[in-house]
Amino acid sequence: MLSIPYTIENLIASVSDTIFRVFIVQDRYQLWLTGLQNTLVIAFFALWIGLILGFLLAVLRVVHDATPRPPVWLRVLNRLAKIYISIIRGVPMVVQLMIFNFIILAASRNGVLIGILAFGFNSSAYVAEIFRAGILSVDKGQMEAGRSLGLSYAQTMRKIIMPQAIKNSIPTLGNEFITVLKETSIAGQVAIMDITRAGAVIRGLTYNPSPLIFVALIYLVMVLFLEFVVGRIERRLRRSDQR
Amino acid sequence: MINVKGLRKSFKKIEVLRGIDEEIRRGEKVVIVGPSGSGKSTFLRCLNLLETPSAGEIWFEGVDIANLRKGLDQHRQKMGMVFQHFNLFPHLTVEENITLAPITLGKATKPDACATAKRLLERIGLTDKADKYPGTLSGGQKQRVAIVRALAMEPIVMLFDEPTSALDPEMVGEVLDLIGDLANEGMTMVMVTHEMGFAKKVGNRVLFMDEGLIVEQGRPDAFFGSPRSPRLQDFLAKVL
Repeated sequence: MLSIPYTIENLIASVSDTIFRVFIVQDRYQLWLTGLQNTLVIAFFALWIGLILGFLLAVLRVVHDATPRPPVWLRVLNRLAKIYISIIRGVPMVVQLMIFNFIILAASRNGVLIGILAFGFNSSAYVAEIFRAGILSVDKGQMEAGRSLGLSYAQTMRKIIMPQAIKNSIPTLGNEFITVLKETSIAGQVAIMDITRAGAVIRGLTYNPSPLIFVALIYLVMVLFLEFVVGRIERRLRRSDQR
Repeated sequence: MINVKGLRKSFKKIEVLRGIDEEIRRGEKVVIVGPSGSGKSTFLRCLNLLETPSAGEIWFEGVDIANLRKGLDQHRQKMGMVFQHFNLFPHLTVEENITLAPITLGKATKPDACATAKRLLERIGLTDKADKYPGTLSGGQKQRVAIVRALAMEPIVMLFDEPTSALDPEMVGEVLDLIGDLANEGMTMVMVTHEMGFAKKVGNRVLFMDEGLIVEQGRPDAFFGSPRSPRLQDFLAKVL
């Protein structure tokens, strides 16, 4: 097919032929849908795990650093959190995914679940640092003002520091979400049928590289949608910046 | 009301407060002046334990709050503080800034706290700003809101940490007027400032701090009219 010289006519013909062979023949769209679904499910739940676990890790680290003489249990937890973050950030995602698949969850046949956990835990380390930076970026006068009014540390954190910290973190978090979504494309390494792998399978069936372009477009659309959602949240939280 | 005994404060190796004994009585308006780095802000911030003293006692209402195990927040509720940089909460409206602490601490129901906020805003002529965010206010307006935010907790003493130092000159007056009104109503206050005119007019007692000690103090007329220590004479010569 590539040997045919391209003219407008046979370009159109070859595109429609390609679409037919890539999506229609043998109900191949079903494979695409399975891949898309798995990618979305993995990314969605991984984001939530990352967000919640990352938030807890960040609070732990900040509270530890803000306590003048932290009790032993807090020191131990803080040390564990630091080690956890270092390991996760220090090991390539593909390797972590394989460790989850072949060691930690070797007994599980549920590829999607393995993907959710591997990507979720990975993201939590980055989210923890994003939130921690967000909390530290709030002017320290805010804590002093809250405390001087008689609010406790926890009350000041909840009502004054956190709302500002979260707002400050949104753009960076949006970036992290996009990274996680795209990073799920390595799920095929452990035989998870995500959208990238679906494209690869069909590439093999059709002897045609064009599924790569479709895969790229699908990721692009998903990322544009995420950008849109994050942008809306950001605008909503920026109400108080009006001057 | 506040009785300070042997107060010392060190940051790392540097001793900022080197043993301060001082009593602030009910209804007094104490003004603290001194060169920068003399420890006056640190002293003020120790009074409500924003800085933890390295040694010494701070008796407030019969309790040594410098050596409490817990319950400090309760005592802080009775001490209002106003900061150089206002420290309004930028994510909350002006009214929410004022009502947050009373509501959160169960001091007032939401309707009551809002009514109080309205009354306080009326007093400073900013009723129309109730639903605006602090970012929309001028410096002088911010500081006046910060003052009534502290008043909403009905403190029995107010601490002012250079409340006009971050303001444009034309806004200093409106803030000092409000503080002066509070003083006339009998509020006990301790104020760190560079406004010597205000110290003369409103203060009952002026303290001069230098190198972590209270070097001289007295009634404003004597303090400014006939300073005894050479260091105060030198300081006044520079600032007046």
